[in-house]
Amino acid sequence: MQQSSALKKSPLIPEVATIEKITQETPDVKTFRVVFDDPSVMDGFTYRSGQCAMVSLPGVGEAMISITASPTRKGFLEFSVKKAGMLTGALHEAEEGQKIGVRGPYGNSFPIESMYGKDLVFIGGGIGLAPLRSLINNVLDNRDKFGAVEIIYGARSPQDLVFKEEILENWSKVKGVKVHVTVDKGDDDWKGPVGFVPAFAEQVNPSPAGSIAITCGPPIMIKFVLQTLAKLKFTPEQIITTLEMKMKCGVGKCGRCNIGEKYVCVDGPVFTLAQLGNMPNEF
Amino acid sequence: MALAEPLVYAARAATLGGKDLAFLVSQLAGKYQVFGPTRKDGEIALGPVQSLEDLELDYVTTLLPPKKYFYAPFDTIFSFHREGGVIHEENLEERRVLFGLHPCDVNALLLLDRVFTGQYEDDRYKRKRENTLIVGLNCNKPGENCFCSSFGTGPDLRRGYDLLLTNLGDRYLLEAGSGAGEELLHELRLKKAEPQAFLAKENVTRLAKGAIKKKINTDNLPKILNQNFGHGKWAELKEECLACGACTIVCPTCYCFNVFDKLDLTLKHGERQIVWDSCVLLEFGEVAMGGNFRRTRAARIKQRIYHKLSYFETQYGALGCVGCGRCVTACIKKIDPTAIVNAIRGE
Repeated sequence: MQQSSALKKSPLIPEVATIEKITQETPDVKTFRVVFDDPSVMDGFTYRSGQCAMVSLPGVGEAMISITASPTRKGFLEFSVKKAGMLTGALHEAEEGQKIGVRGPYGNSFPIESMYGKDLVFIGGGIGLAPLRSLINNVLDNRDKFGAVEIIYGARSPQDLVFKEEILENWSKVKGVKVHVTVDKGDDDWKGPVGFVPAFAEQVNPSPAGSIAITCGPPIMIKFVLQTLAKLKFTPEQIITTLEMKMKCGVGKCGRCNIGEKYVCVDGPVFTLAQLGNMPNEF
Repeated sequence: MALAEPLVYAARAATLGGKDLAFLVSQLAGKYQVFGPTRKDGEIALGPVQSLEDLELDYVTTLLPPKKYFYAPFDTIFSFHREGGVIHEENLEERRVLFGLHPCDVNALLLLDRVFTGQYEDDRYKRKRENTLIVGLNCNKPGENCFCSSFGTGPDLRRGYDLLLTNLGDRYLLEAGSGAGEELLHELRLKKAEPQAFLAKENVTRLAKGAIKKKINTDNLPKILNQNFGHGKWAELKEECLACGACTIVCPTCYCFNVFDKLDLTLKHGERQIVWDSCVLLEFGEVAMGGNFRRTRAARIKQRIYHKLSYFETQYGALGCVGCGRCVTACIKKIDPTAIVNAIRGE
């Protein structure tokens, strides 16, 4: 796709990008490393951890995907995509070198400045580690600005753990970082803990003093993780999570992700539990 | 068409006899693409107009609101070739006039402006708005479902127009509301309005206001709605609402849309289109992996009412309804926002 410069102002028109590398993370999750064809677009695409972008394939459609790359690592974007619907299904059929459309970045982001000097507790489940990974790598690239880091992660099975190499080879070897990995159900080779993330997080027992907890995963996991964190005496202001909804425009107009006064695409996807408490009880 | 030479040309306001109105329409049609209320299958619909004969100015409400001229029910954002093609754009530069819009509909456009020209400005919408002159027509004949006076969006128009007509019975008052409107008045060399015309306008406005039967009490409305998210009225509406989406299609301030890629038969070329969507449809609340956070009809009609009468005010600083009454007219079950609000307020 090429496009005339006169059209750049319309927010729904994507930029053309190329898939440079595809990593099969799990049987149904792939990570796509993507570079904009126009170097000035690549340079101009500044984003923060927690933001998303609209990824599209002409003829198939668009979907909002969180950017799993860290803004501290420049020159490319990464999207980790679980095969779930039409667009994500078609993306899984895509090959390296294929052109896609990308527009964004959209949404707010993790309030990283408010985390300076704090201990951080990341609790992720399944593909929910994708948005957290951007923040984790951002934090690790600015290691001296943060306190201790605990990463609690789980998936359905050992095969469903994403970013395995990065978790075990990179993150767990950084000073002051503890990594705890669990699976719902083990297999013959699995030697680690077995159990659901919320109960596992309770065993890990992170301290709320001077901490911020950031959680992302399937809705049912988030629901119980929030209960666990409340039990561990984390206040709603100390708990940050992300909401996910279908989005058609990403720019606060199509109405799909409207909850109360908020559009998740513009006002979210990152909310504190205190903010979620003020929304109508719809999710 | 030659007119009798008036003594003073109008700067801000003129009065028009029947012939003058025909002159105005034909002059506009000579320079612009003109759209206005026309008769269509026994109903009134906004359509193309060449002369006064095409217009049906003595009308209550058009079937669809004027939003269709700023983003169409199927509106192409761009077209593409699947294998490296060219994205090209539609002609947004056409100079248009929307003639004879009622105050509710003009006020609805002002609300849509807040949505589409705020953050992440929609360039297509904005250019179409900029290239369209609005000739309003004050409402003399409110319909049975109208409740514009509750929102201050009618029956008389106070802003948002380039020209504004008021039917005074024996003649029209024509007022300019913008520089472009003033220029038109000047070019057309119309007769300056006499002071009595403004008195007559006040009179017809008062009569029209008195003819509006339905009311919504908007005092503190967002807050009252937010406190009544669990009100029994919503469960009742679940049994009423058929979730057909007619209310949102005819609504002048409903703007939610879906985005589709439409391929042609070669499967090589296509268009990415905006398609009008509706929060009362089941699919609207769907999320990945089979989830749906508004599975019940009660939750969906609630979303529609709350977005208009609560959330929109926080988001855009005004209530999101103009009281045109189309949703009531279009609803098979005659679900009526005024009745819903009255029930919740206990009035």
